[in-house]
Amino acid sequence: MTMPPQPEGSPEFVEKIRQQPIDGLALKNLAAAALTWLRTNHEIVNALNVFPVPDGDTGTNMVLTMQSAYDEIENSPEDHAGRVANDLAQGALMGARGNSGVILSQLWRGFARALDGHDVIEGQTLAEAFAVARDTAYKGVVRPVEGTILTVAKDVAAAAEAALDKTQDPFEILDIVVEAAEASVEHTPELLDVLKEAGVVDSGGKGLYFILEGMLRFSKGMSLDTAVATVQPLSAINFDDAMQTVEPGQDYEVVVDFRPNEPLVLEKFYTDLEEMGTSIQIGEGDGMYRMHIHVPTEKRYEPIDYTMTLGTITKVHIENLLAQMDELEREHQEQPLKLAPVEPGQIAVVTVAPGPGFANVFASLGAAAIVEGGQTMNPSTQDILHSFENLPTDKVIILPNNKNIILAAEAATEVTVKQTAVIPSRTVPQGLSALLRLIPDGDFDNVVKDMTSALEDVQTGEITTATRSVEIDGVNVREGEIIVLHNGQLILSSHNLRDACLQFLEKADADDYELITMFYGADIQKVDAFRIADMIREAYPEHEIEVQDGGQPHYQFIMSIE
Amino acid sequence: MKIAIVTDSTADIPPDLVEQHHIEVVPAIIVMEGKSIQDGKDISRHEFYEKMPTLETLPTTATPSSGTFHSVYERLIQGGAQAILSLHVASRLSGIYNTAKLAGKAFGERVHVFDSGSISMGLGFQVIAAAEAAAQGLSLEKISQHIRTIRKKIRVIAMLDTLENIRRSGRVSWTTARIGSLLRIKPFMEILDGNVLNLGQARTRRKGIEHLKNIIYELGGLERLAIIHSNAEADARQMLADLKLDLPDAPRVVNVTPVIGTHVGPNGLGFAAVLK
Repeated sequence: MTMPPQPEGSPEFVEKIRQQPIDGLALKNLAAAALTWLRTNHEIVNALNVFPVPDGDTGTNMVLTMQSAYDEIENSPEDHAGRVANDLAQGALMGARGNSGVILSQLWRGFARALDGHDVIEGQTLAEAFAVARDTAYKGVVRPVEGTILTVAKDVAAAAEAALDKTQDPFEILDIVVEAAEASVEHTPELLDVLKEAGVVDSGGKGLYFILEGMLRFSKGMSLDTAVATVQPLSAINFDDAMQTVEPGQDYEVVVDFRPNEPLVLEKFYTDLEEMGTSIQIGEGDGMYRMHIHVPTEKRYEPIDYTMTLGTITKVHIENLLAQMDELEREHQEQPLKLAPVEPGQIAVVTVAPGPGFANVFASLGAAAIVEGGQTMNPSTQDILHSFENLPTDKVIILPNNKNIILAAEAATEVTVKQTAVIPSRTVPQGLSALLRLIPDGDFDNVVKDMTSALEDVQTGEITTATRSVEIDGVNVREGEIIVLHNGQLILSSHNLRDACLQFLEKADADDYELITMFYGADIQKVDAFRIADMIREAYPEHEIEVQDGGQPHYQFIMSIE
Repeated sequence: MKIAIVTDSTADIPPDLVEQHHIEVVPAIIVMEGKSIQDGKDISRHEFYEKMPTLETLPTTATPSSGTFHSVYERLIQGGAQAILSLHVASRLSGIYNTAKLAGKAFGERVHVFDSGSISMGLGFQVIAAAEAAAQGLSLEKISQHIRTIRKKIRVIAMLDTLENIRRSGRVSWTTARIGSLLRIKPFMEILDGNVLNLGQARTRRKGIEHLKNIIYELGGLERLAIIHSNAEADARQMLADLKLDLPDAPRVVNVTPVIGTHVGPNGLGFAAVLK
């Protein structure tokens, strides 16, 4: 792979570039810069993909297309801009890959067509070239979709044309065009729902932006080999998000506020910090900077010492991340549930959950509504009815997850006009097992049948403390002992939780199964739950053991064996 | 009329069938550790899957260039082909179709590019059917019609061993919006008209395989079947042995291309079928 000449960055260099007319050789340098900058940032573009398999890597495809375009002119001494553009377009066409690559090649085709016969590119010509590029790209697509690279090309052309009122200088036009491209890319989710849903901007549009920005950076003598380090307004830094990506070994979070003595060279600052740690974020406001980084224990003072060489430090904050993580996890549980979106005509599932942890698990598996309730707090018919009446679909499946709630659920089906069915799940693990089979767009009766058949796929253990002494099903229980229900039947009592769990697994023939999931309740500490899980792991080394926060009251554990 | 059949390596057609039917396969590109590798030429499938878990970043994929397609078409026409049928992986999933289409333009009516709406052997079966029809000397129009009929009868369903790869690969909407599971699950997916649909999930592999077999039985009579897997050869062979099916041709067991494998992860298991 070839690298373009790297600009020296001196004012004289910038002056020279911007003063000279854009002939074929200058265009070649700009194309090289565009390629390099796109390649430097192609992972950013790849990360924006909305569509799946098997080759949704827009950034890679665009780099390869651009590379093929540049290969065509790399060793050419041609100094006629029109002919260089034509060669670039030819190379792009032959190297076009993927949808964005194909459109990129059309843009180059149009660009070259407008430059035909021009030995240098002047402001007027440049604006025309952007316009013809846009027209060619739109014509090359059967059904143009807005919110894509096409829209960015369109906004670029419009900005270039408008710029002619103010300037005839091609580089000043490029300045305006890059700004317009950036705004256009940011606007793409407003035009295309899939982008909005995925929470991304359009990848092809972003790629086009990097191509134009690469040219501009070259003309300003800026480096092209360091990926974009984004600076956000101070208020926008979300440390919670950074917390989600804590990497092993990065145990400390360091935040330094400082005022640099000289204008901060961001790329260098960023690269230097990368030597020390991860999750780097830089914020700026009123000439004041805030730097955030995660570092290993032994390097926790390094970012501070380093920042001190750049300016005056006003505030330092160091925190042990592992301790912070625990706290955050607790806060997260209090956040509103992220329920599955339902569209008209789809099948929605309403499920009863006996704790916030279970509610999260159900939501993550596609439940559209959750009713709080369980053993000691049976929800009413009204509660169940309310939970689904406002859903935008008329097909609803209810999972009661408790034998005492099945009737209330059935009653709810009798007073609604919606098509409803109750799947008689008697335990929470049964409800989870049924929910796994949900196909929202499937045939209602088939889905109900399939979900019902999944109830038997799982064995349930419910582990709690006896509230009084009693003898049931031949088991003698004394108040305060740990008791276990296996699929609703009392099967044993024990003096301690650990033994109760192990005895239950033995009686339920856990040996014959593959996976044990332990949902721990509100009354038990996470560390204790994990300790018991470790012990079960030792006893069942071949099994997968999963521990989840169920958050249910009274029951130390609800376990599923499958 | 001599008609040549072209496809891409995501069709997963076993080499002996490629040879038997004179199919031209254009390799897709895998980008691994910064290097571009041609699918099936520069790396074997087994090698790829053995290596995948050791890589720090997941391999990415790219389409072959339109220049590649251009030269393939040109070579076939120079070799005496009067028409070319080029069938490719669903355009909703990949840019290969549009890339081939762009290259085909230069040849006018001689090159016909089809969007299979499918993937792996779901595409492969369409290609084989086209090749068979061409060998029988059917007209171009008859062959196109035949492909369209077959396409409607194709089903491709698979169970992934993990959500991780598909989530990281490109945000299939249901892997983020609906199924962002806190529990470890093995999602079932179907490729239909280029869409990736979620068909529920299993929590254990054993149950998942049982479920897959039931899905196959419920399809009813089958014309053709291939068991497809991402490096889960033993499970694939076992599942095939357990299936009691009456088929004209023995089903093939196919390790899917790394181009798909990088997006679905290892140990995926499923099938491609042609309904009666």
